[in-house]
Amino acid sequence: MRIGRIIALALAITMVASAAFAGPVYDRIMQEKKIRIGIMTDSIPGAFFDEKGEWTGFDYDISTELAKRMGVELERVKVNNKTRIAFIQQNRIDVSVANMTHTRERDKSIDFSITYFFDGQKVLAKKGAFASLEDMKDKKIATMQGTTSEINIKNALKALGVANPDANVISFQKESECFQALEMGRVAGWTTDATILLGYAAKKPGEFELVGDFLSDEPYGMGLPQDDSALRDAVNFALQDMWLDGTYMAIYNKWYGPETPYAMPMTDQIEIWP
Amino acid sequence: MIRFWLEKNWVQNAVLFTLAALMVYYWGWVFDFGYKFEWSMLYTVNETYQINLGYEILRGLWVTVKITAVSAAIGLVLGTALGLSRLSDFKPLRYTATCIIEFFRNTPLLVVLFFFYFALPRALPDTLREWVFSMQFEFWTAAVAVGMYTSAFMAEVIRAGLQSIPKGILEASYSSGLSYVQVLRTIILPLAFREIIPPLGSEFLNNMKNTSLAMFVGVADMTWQAQQAEALTFKGFEATTAASVMYLSFSLIISFVLNGVNSRLRTVGNTGTSVPALFVNALCWPFGTASRLLLNPVGRFLRARKRRQAASTYLSSTRAAWLATLRRGRQALILASKAAFLAFLAACLYTVVKGVLGFDWAVVAREFSNLILWQFPNEVADPFLGLGGFALSFIIAVVAIAASFVIGLLVGLGRCSTNRIFRIPSLLYIEIIRGNPLIIVIYWVYFLIPVLFNTFFNTVWSASIALTLFTAAYLAEIVRSGIQNIPPGQVEAATASGLSYWQTMRKIILPQALKQMIPPIVGLFIAIFKDTSLVSILGVMELTSVAKAVDNRLMVNSMEIWTLAALLYFVPCFFMSKYADALERRLSPEKVNLKM
Repeated sequence: MRIGRIIALALAITMVASAAFAGPVYDRIMQEKKIRIGIMTDSIPGAFFDEKGEWTGFDYDISTELAKRMGVELERVKVNNKTRIAFIQQNRIDVSVANMTHTRERDKSIDFSITYFFDGQKVLAKKGAFASLEDMKDKKIATMQGTTSEINIKNALKALGVANPDANVISFQKESECFQALEMGRVAGWTTDATILLGYAAKKPGEFELVGDFLSDEPYGMGLPQDDSALRDAVNFALQDMWLDGTYMAIYNKWYGPETPYAMPMTDQIEIWP
Repeated sequence: MIRFWLEKNWVQNAVLFTLAALMVYYWGWVFDFGYKFEWSMLYTVNETYQINLGYEILRGLWVTVKITAVSAAIGLVLGTALGLSRLSDFKPLRYTATCIIEFFRNTPLLVVLFFFYFALPRALPDTLREWVFSMQFEFWTAAVAVGMYTSAFMAEVIRAGLQSIPKGILEASYSSGLSYVQVLRTIILPLAFREIIPPLGSEFLNNMKNTSLAMFVGVADMTWQAQQAEALTFKGFEATTAASVMYLSFSLIISFVLNGVNSRLRTVGNTGTSVPALFVNALCWPFGTASRLLLNPVGRFLRARKRRQAASTYLSSTRAAWLATLRRGRQALILASKAAFLAFLAACLYTVVKGVLGFDWAVVAREFSNLILWQFPNEVADPFLGLGGFALSFIIAVVAIAASFVIGLLVGLGRCSTNRIFRIPSLLYIEIIRGNPLIIVIYWVYFLIPVLFNTFFNTVWSASIALTLFTAAYLAEIVRSGIQNIPPGQVEAATASGLSYWQTMRKIILPQALKQMIPPIVGLFIAIFKDTSLVSILGVMELTSVAKAVDNRLMVNSMEIWTLAALLYFVPCFFMSKYADALERRLSPEKVNLKM
């Protein structure tokens, strides 16, 4: 029977494929001497394409340094806020360095490194238009779909007494779309992590400003596959070493130092284990 | 021996049932997914966020229903107007209609949507923009953009329907003294609509599926909600299944209603006895009754008065003068509206030319190569050498076209087969894929392949597979209609002269059918090329993604970048569609342009 043979072959291939991808990620990385890191493409200055069409940014430099310290070759994989977690789950990437806040819900699906970046969410608005979030209560606010900022802004609006925050929040698929909506006046504000907002505001100096207090703390962690403690240790140790020998601050100042357009003072320090 | 048994219906049913049972058994119990299914996320309240995600998806369905209804209405009205305009004697109107139709048919809906949402409000004066923003701007942008997009396709269907009306009927009605409006109302439109209900029905379905793009401008429709559920819980498989089931049910309902309308309008054969027809009749009953009770007497009275007036040969001089002025007034009105239309056209052209002259051409020149090639120096292990933009869109489209052709041909043949073992799986495949929006199929491939086969592909391949599966279903339907157009006598003759099934297909049916299929297949290829814009959702750096990335980096040149992107889609699609038209004319020379 030809059909029978085809089915048997298909089943065999499926099983071989499942066997090939099992096993701890760390061993595979060390065996192949190659680590696949997921990095964003449109998060300025986290990771983005510059004028020359080259990939660059803070996350980009941290990933490069991480691979160097683990002694393996780096393969960069483009991710966005939709694919960064799915890719880890599906074993397409080993680490995701992509503006990702460590949350309990996310921790159910993947693991996280120690916090490697301290951020918080704010609202960006046209300069001088609003003093605080309170003033924007009955205006529209943009955010990105599937991010923590969407939930935070809805909660913040609810706390201010807005009955139906869903109607006040417009969720787009990309950061650039949020910024465009803000620019053309469709929304009064755009909320996400302050560093991202600064990155965009710097494109048009003097036109936009951050409004109000931080809406939330956003401890960024590197996304890691579930239950691979060897890899988690290696990443955590590499991060701590970077902090201890000053490499981390060098990279930080390159992107967020006082002379940069995205100036943001360092307020915290990476968790160091003795 | 095998053939003898396979011809029996119960054997076919048994084989199908066994196959289904085996599949359920294998994927239900034997296969290890390495994925924890949590179907409860669809009906329980999520602890972290305190929302019921299933309920949210249902709310999304309601938004989808609303957008579908509004855009379908816009599409139908505007499509009829455009279809009539394309047959008008007034040349500027005809050319404008042609331009509008060609623009929407050859530009991806996603690009149109971005244009409507991000570029158009900037061109409006401040007060008008404030007013527009104070309405439900997202919802209306999506509904109007999808509706206008649909109208271009409907216009072509309606035009074909109008042109299918025999010229004799028109001549007879004109010579019996009916005015153009009367002919239009009582002869042309009723006859044409009866003719075009089936193709119009598939446009309604496409329209419903196209509304799934509304999420790109922040409308919380069903696709958006399914995505949201995925983003919040990372259970993409379950969320996509829920959305998929609802889209399928929705398209089944639309097909059901359209079937009913079709059999209600049909004048030959058994009308009004099928279930859909009875349903539509029941739906129409209150309106019919109301019209009989209220409007009919009024109409009868008006008609009687008109007849009386016409019968009385006596015309007072004041009345004659009055009628003459009225006629002159009407002519003047028509002339004035033509002039106004021309003025409006001139104003539009002036704005466009002024806008284009104001472009930052240096940016266009600099970014052009990015949009075409997007060579990306740091790319490691990319099978496409860092190609992106137009080139990658093109590659994906070619891969999808080549692969879908084989699948589509086989599935189409299976769909025509009398053997249920082939027919029912083919039917299921076609209906399931065609009942879902492309974006849902993209998610399916994206979530299903890793779960089902525990492996993964480059997102470019993932996107190509999704496009292939999607296109193949449509191609299969084209193949089916091509084969069914061949007179059955030919199959009988081939069988009688001793040719086997495959010989008949290869030597007699397919060569003829394929020739007939060429124009719709070219049309489908245009659709695929445009649809590649949707794979940007997976982060594939094709033309739309690159345009977004470049726009994102420059920020101040949106208009230039999006116009360029639209042009890059438009030009190849336009030439392909012109080619398809030429082919169609060559293959069916009897179709000549009929004046209305």
